[in-house]
Amino acid sequence: MTTLTINNKKYDLDLKGHEILLEVLRNNLGFTGTKTACEESECGTCCVNIGGKSILSCITLACDVADKAITTIEGLADGEKLHPVQQAYIDHGAVQCGFCIPGLIMSSKALLEKNPEPTREEIDYALDGNLCRCAGYLKIYEAVIHAGKEMKQLAGTNKN
Amino acid sequence: MTTPRHTFNKAYVNPVGKSVPRIDGKGIVTGQTKYAFDVSFPNMLVGKMIRSTIPHGRILSIDTSKAEALPGVRAIITAKDTHNIKFGSNEYFFPHTIDQMAIESEKVRYVGDEIGAIAAVDEETADAALKLIDVKYEELPAVVDVLEAMKPGAPQIHESRNNIAVILPVNFGNADRALKESDYVREDLFYTPAAHMAALEPHVCVGQWETFSNKITLWASSQAPFKCREALAKTLKMDLNDVRVIKMAVGGGFGGKLEMLPMDFAACLLSKKAGGLPVKICCNREEEFLATRRKHGMIYKIKSGVKKDGTLMAITGEVIADGGAYCSYGPTVIAAAIMRIFMLYKIQHFRVTGYRVYTNTPISGAMRGFGGVQAGFAIESHMDMLAEGIGMDPVEFRLKNITTPNMVTINKMVLTTNGLKECIDKAIESCEWKKKHGKQKDICRGIGIGIAADVMGSKMYKSHESAGSIVKVEEDGSVYLFTGAADTGQGSNTALSQIAAQELGVSYSRIRCKSGDTEITPFDTGSFASRVTFISGNATLLAARDAKKQVLNVVAEEFKLNAEDLDIMAEEVINKKDKSIITSFDKALELCYAFNYGRQIIGRGSYNPKTTPIDFRTGEGNVSGSYGFEAQIAEVEVNKETGEVKILKMWDAHDIGKAINPQSAEAQIEGSLAMGIGYTFLENLHFDKKGRPANGNFANYRLPRGFGMPPIECIMVETNDPEGPFGAKGMGEAALLPTSAAIANAIFDAVGIRIKELPITPAKIIKALKEKEVNEKNQQQHLTEAKTL
Repeated sequence: MTTLTINNKKYDLDLKGHEILLEVLRNNLGFTGTKTACEESECGTCCVNIGGKSILSCITLACDVADKAITTIEGLADGEKLHPVQQAYIDHGAVQCGFCIPGLIMSSKALLEKNPEPTREEIDYALDGNLCRCAGYLKIYEAVIHAGKEMKQLAGTNKN
Repeated sequence: MTTPRHTFNKAYVNPVGKSVPRIDGKGIVTGQTKYAFDVSFPNMLVGKMIRSTIPHGRILSIDTSKAEALPGVRAIITAKDTHNIKFGSNEYFFPHTIDQMAIESEKVRYVGDEIGAIAAVDEETADAALKLIDVKYEELPAVVDVLEAMKPGAPQIHESRNNIAVILPVNFGNADRALKESDYVREDLFYTPAAHMAALEPHVCVGQWETFSNKITLWASSQAPFKCREALAKTLKMDLNDVRVIKMAVGGGFGGKLEMLPMDFAACLLSKKAGGLPVKICCNREEEFLATRRKHGMIYKIKSGVKKDGTLMAITGEVIADGGAYCSYGPTVIAAAIMRIFMLYKIQHFRVTGYRVYTNTPISGAMRGFGGVQAGFAIESHMDMLAEGIGMDPVEFRLKNITTPNMVTINKMVLTTNGLKECIDKAIESCEWKKKHGKQKDICRGIGIGIAADVMGSKMYKSHESAGSIVKVEEDGSVYLFTGAADTGQGSNTALSQIAAQELGVSYSRIRCKSGDTEITPFDTGSFASRVTFISGNATLLAARDAKKQVLNVVAEEFKLNAEDLDIMAEEVINKKDKSIITSFDKALELCYAFNYGRQIIGRGSYNPKTTPIDFRTGEGNVSGSYGFEAQIAEVEVNKETGEVKILKMWDAHDIGKAINPQSAEAQIEGSLAMGIGYTFLENLHFDKKGRPANGNFANYRLPRGFGMPPIECIMVETNDPEGPFGAKGMGEAALLPTSAAIANAIFDAVGIRIKELPITPAKIIKALKEKEVNEKNQQQHLTEAKTL
């Protein structure tokens, strides 16, 4: 029996060693917010957060992350209250078809948690693994910059 | 008892022209939006297509017995199980190009061609079963190159002579005479490669055959659910009303999801054979590149003449399009590649012939831009060269020849509002053209322009292009919009909801939108030809107007007023005469449903633009109810050492009539430019000797990424078209059309080289720079020799 911790909840699963995290999330547990467009680590639509990093779940073995906290797109909002990255993606019109968006949001969040004021180059680097075919990236970058500001402010408020 | 009041957001009254958030935004960012990719049912089977492994051959036999014996295999279909009915997409205009079987029975024409399908309990079993299918072929010689395919004696892929499925001559005036009368004539040859839509959501569907009722349901990732329904009904020999296509959220289409594919057919038929269990078929990325649809590679030969004063006299040429194994939308794609120019330039003498050619390669179909991207690169590069040839500024040259408002083009297109000149003026002002053009060569910087025009609707479905909408208002004040239009990510549900809210006089936050379900929503031809805002928008406007009228009739009756004097604005029913408030929208709805009235509010709207299909014998037809225009500018810096091109900035001035949602409109432009930049520098789907994609995955088929996206300045030119909903025009495709040429023209301005073959790679730049150097040296040598003589 393997226990996966996903969005702060524990799931006991009977997993085989070769099972891929993406498939376990989508097929076994119904977390279909995580997508895939290539299944070979080229598109970034399958990104989840593990240990503060944006991880490609399509090339991650589920058993390998059994002892780690996994956050998927479903785990970001607090009820109706969206995570600042999610809210910024809506506010800045960064969303079109939306298929790439869960992965992009997870990569953006991982970046901003470490560095809420990224430069253009730092965003380039952090989002280089995420493809988007609709939006042309500019509004996504705008959203990331604004979400970072919001997150910094929130972090400041929490400290006080 | 009081009816609970509907809560609405006051910020979203009068939403047209405001960047309200997308109606589906929250669902998308929380991962809760359901795509066909996410659809799942208990006992759902996994379907896989059995595909040809050879590029060309006759099917001698298909032995499925070993696969059938494999535990877990639930159904296998081959052509024997089908009615062998052909399908295609240009049935109305080019009936002879209906050439593809849902499951091929006699011949295969490319690696990937569908010859059967399997359904099994899981992916592993389906994959294992595929390996047990034994197909015997009589292999035939194959042809991959389009020019080879046209030669006499080339392998015959279909019946048509020299593999030319369609020859399309477009002829106006007397081009030969006009060329003779020209002061300057030049001929250029352009090559544009095949490319792929590469929507991130792959083609995916779930089909279910209800065995007790003999009805089917397809949960689809479709741009045109009603077209899909028609093709399913035709190929499965069913009545339209026994087929239901439910469009889920669509993870990008770009033309690739415009048609029914064999997999849609197969999912339904497999389900029947498996006793009614639902069957899901999902392409992997390799199948996406191999066996869905792709962009036509084109060879564009163009010869034109101009007068010294810049008057464009004549254009002649030939366009050869590599169509792949079947026709798909090819015939009309090549028509559009030739005829778009009439919306742009006033031209009297024209003779261009198009050839749509079969090869043993993946099927070319509709891709965003519909032939206009390839043509845009050729024509807009060529126009620059003509201007250069007579020593005229390329902007001046265009201004001299462009179409104007309220004119009829040579092929009878009726251009009413036309903001092309304003687009050019605003773009060149904003980019400081006069200060920059030809003046930054010392730092290898240059600036270039491209212009484009587009239709909104194409009259390519049967003889009509109608859309329908229903606006239902409930007693709690909630408003439901039912539209047949297919939101594929461009945001049509949002724009249509804005239109409905604006016309009904309520907040956008009241609207719930249900779209693209053939059993519930009204008919709509689909998302293509930049038509949805314009055509479905008009249908929605009329439906909202009808609903409003019904509400006002009740209010008028109750308050003993004249319904014609009333209106609903910003959530209040008002008397137009003195602007006094009669009652609120909520109270008006309570009244409508009160016991003495009890009137359901159901508004209906249907819109069919007053257009005429192109008559392909003459090339004439006013295909669109309105026309969109734009001017695009690129500023680049070329590194002469490495051959790299950096785009410093792009400008796009766009006549969109009226921006229903400015943020979404900008997003369309930015997305188009990204795709255009990808096609200019990176994207090149090429094929091996067997006609298979040589780079059919995201590691080798390179899409643009965030890195290197230049800043883009979007300039909205609002010409308020009287025929458009609130003045709006469609705008999903035009911004992609001139991008490659604008960039290529900027490269010329920077370093004096012309690249006529996409994609523009550093190697091509270096080669062209070397050739230029050699030419200049030779010229100088000639000059010196001439002097010494």
